[in-house]
Amino acid sequence: MEKENEIVEKLKDFLKENLVNVTIPKKRRIFVYIKKDALEEAMEYFVKDLKFKHLSTITGVDLGEEIEVIYHLSYKGSIMLSARLAVSKKNPNIPTITDLIPGAVLYEREVHDLLGVDFERHPDLSPLMLPEKWPKGVYPLRKEYQLKHLREITSEK
Amino acid sequence: MSHGSIIKVPFGPQHPALKEPENFLFEVDGEIVVDVKPRLGYNHRGIEKAFELRTYIQNIYLAERICGICSDAHTTCYTQAIEELLNVELPPRARYIRVIIAELERIHSHALWVGIAAHEIGFDTLFMYVWRDRETVLDLFEMISGNRIHYAMNTIGGVRRDIHAAMVPKIIKGLDFLEERLKYYLRIVQTEQTILKRTVGVGILKPKDAVNLCAVGPTLRASGIKNDVRSDDPYAAYDEIPFNVITHSGCDILSRTLVRCEEMLESIKIIRYALDSMPEGIIRVQVPKKVPQGEVVSRVEAPRGELIHYAKSNGTTKPERYKVRSPTLANIPALCKMLLGGYVADIPIVLAGIDPCFACMDRMAFVDIKQNKKWVWTMQQLRRKYAKE
Amino acid sequence: MGLDYAAVKKEVRKRMTSETIVSLIRILVFPGAMFLFALAFFYEWVDRKFFARLQNRYGPLHTGPHGILQPLADFLKLLSKEDITPHASDRLVFALAPVFYLALPLTTLFVIPVLDPTSFIAFEGDLVFVLFAFTLIIITVFLAGWSSINRFGTIGSMRAVLQMLGYEIPMGLVAFGPAIAANSLSISRIVGWQSLNFWLILLQPLGFAIFTVCLLAELQFVPFDIPEAETEIVAGWRTEFSGRKLALLRLGKDLELVLASALIASLYLGGPQQFWLIPPIVAFLVKTTFAVMLLSLLRAVFARFRIDQMLSGLWKYLLPLATLQIILIQAGLGG
Repeated sequence: MEKENEIVEKLKDFLKENLVNVTIPKKRRIFVYIKKDALEEAMEYFVKDLKFKHLSTITGVDLGEEIEVIYHLSYKGSIMLSARLAVSKKNPNIPTITDLIPGAVLYEREVHDLLGVDFERHPDLSPLMLPEKWPKGVYPLRKEYQLKHLREITSEK
Repeated sequence: MSHGSIIKVPFGPQHPALKEPENFLFEVDGEIVVDVKPRLGYNHRGIEKAFELRTYIQNIYLAERICGICSDAHTTCYTQAIEELLNVELPPRARYIRVIIAELERIHSHALWVGIAAHEIGFDTLFMYVWRDRETVLDLFEMISGNRIHYAMNTIGGVRRDIHAAMVPKIIKGLDFLEERLKYYLRIVQTEQTILKRTVGVGILKPKDAVNLCAVGPTLRASGIKNDVRSDDPYAAYDEIPFNVITHSGCDILSRTLVRCEEMLESIKIIRYALDSMPEGIIRVQVPKKVPQGEVVSRVEAPRGELIHYAKSNGTTKPERYKVRSPTLANIPALCKMLLGGYVADIPIVLAGIDPCFACMDRMAFVDIKQNKKWVWTMQQLRRKYAKE
Repeated sequence: MGLDYAAVKKEVRKRMTSETIVSLIRILVFPGAMFLFALAFFYEWVDRKFFARLQNRYGPLHTGPHGILQPLADFLKLLSKEDITPHASDRLVFALAPVFYLALPLTTLFVIPVLDPTSFIAFEGDLVFVLFAFTLIIITVFLAGWSSINRFGTIGSMRAVLQMLGYEIPMGLVAFGPAIAANSLSISRIVGWQSLNFWLILLQPLGFAIFTVCLLAELQFVPFDIPEAETEIVAGWRTEFSGRKLALLRLGKDLELVLASALIASLYLGGPQQFWLIPPIVAFLVKTTFAVMLLSLLRAVFARFRIDQMLSGLWKYLLPLATLQIILIQAGLGG
């Protein structure tokens, strides 16, 4: 747990008021909540200074009014840092991190497809998972889209 | 052989090199690949949305069906996530049984891969031989769990079936046979000239690219990077079992083959050790149906690499959000990198090189077709339809 | 004087009809087309069965004893299937290519001795004719793939022609080895020479090996099945063919296999020779079956080469070796 505590201390020092909260639920797991505007700066710090080089995935969670985006980073394959931030559903724009981590391309497209988060400056946000004829503005993983709505869409020919 | 003219060659959704539907659009100049665009999603069946609509118990079976090859990896990842949310300690025997099943699964998955890879480079004889010997593992699964593919061994709080003392000698016998055969195949792969011609220096993924593009599993280890969830972030009983993480630094298809072949031998060692030192005791504990509020990140080293599940519970019997990221999706950017500048003839083997499992990758939301009444035919309807024709 | 013109005319007509009938039977039935078709189906079965056994499979099992009628059943089934011609294709060439692909090996087989040491049609230089026919087969393959206007077909047909550039010259070179030894360009005379001397496999083992490798490439067998590499380009030049056309292509391929094995048998294994009481046709069947099994054994133990590897390999190693074989013969060794 020493390493985890050390990382958390460093995080607190660097992020200061941009840090909402940070927890260590168990060994090798850190959850950190950051403010939306600090994303790029924080990511650069995680990847370049703290050596969290591997991005396992990006998860989007529908919180009702907001969408939570969680970046699952790992340090030498072992410590998982889940950095999260919330964007409003009305204006779901956050900057891309593909220039920092090229491997994030597909994960960002996936979150865009299914939850409608727009990643600014992303090279290509065309549908990855959904069919070509999928109606614009329907994001299946948002809670307001019930299964029956989605079924209506897929059964239309 | 350059003609200065670029033709577009589609690979898939239906193509003999792809065992599952997925589309890659290649731009080809003569025999050289100049661009590749993956188009995923042909296997969507809405599993993440379906997770939110089912109880935690039902979801075990759903997780099992994310993929047919690494079904155990998915349930291990799922159950250990829910166990963490419930704050349940696994019985020691269950942890060892999970390791044994996971390693058997690794052997069968890697053996399957070696066969497919041989088929991709036109070596059908090796394909037939490897798949014949792979049957040994499937028979062992049938003996242990009653099923060959979906073993349904994991449950929240332990495993569903015990490995009895009577089974142990049979497993050991099967492993001895496999070890001998695998060593033979390892020798063939390293010495047969036509295989070497098709694998050495093909599909290069430099270590730096592998890290930047977030590759996982054998693909990453074949680029010389030591990374294995089993040792980096131990789960089940991996913290008590000694084993080596296999790496090779060739960065090509041959290295990926060698990594997988040697990993199978390593798995045999792990299973032998686990069978030897398996503690006695119960195999499962009772757990409540309601899961307290919380969230968890769970990781497992599936045969194809790091598998990560994210679960968020809201205090009811159903999860609030469940996210699955399978290793194949993580390897797609790296795959595109490997294909660029290669030969058309090498596309199949490079594609196969990451051991793609599209069913895993495309698990995500759109709609649960199985529940869509329009699409489901009952047995009676089918009979009526065919009786008419 | 005093010739009975009417009687002579009658006699000539009588002889003509009987000879014509005999020739017709020889061309159409035995040892002509029907016999060759039967042989083609039989060798496809030998190839499939032996290949399957090598891979630890059963192979054809149900149609006829040990599945011996399976190739015929496949052929008949394909004849009854829908025949699709792609809209964009060059219809005439697309329709004619399978016919040529079948007719070429069939015609060529007439110059190869089957029943007795002299072939049905024998002339000085028929060996060159056979080699020429092999080239024409590849041209037909190219036209078939190209006319179908399919991306896989186009790639496959280009690969077929490229591949031909690789093996044609070494094959032509070593095929003249037996001719130099027998001092004749006629296959029948080469067979005759071997019955008086030694089998040429003993005198020119290198030539035999090179010739077999080149035939593997000609037949598009692994490791040279590059123009129809299943996992890369679906079925290559054959992708768009279906129904009757595919049936003809398959039969043509089987006849090519017969041609290849018959050529191995007559150039290197002595062809149809009489041993004591055993008729020459039996010797021919045994030797060609051996050749077919050799070819399927070879295709079971390799992985597929890439086109560039295949070309550079053949030019770098096979061509110098073929030249070496000819030099050895000229130096008095092997003929």
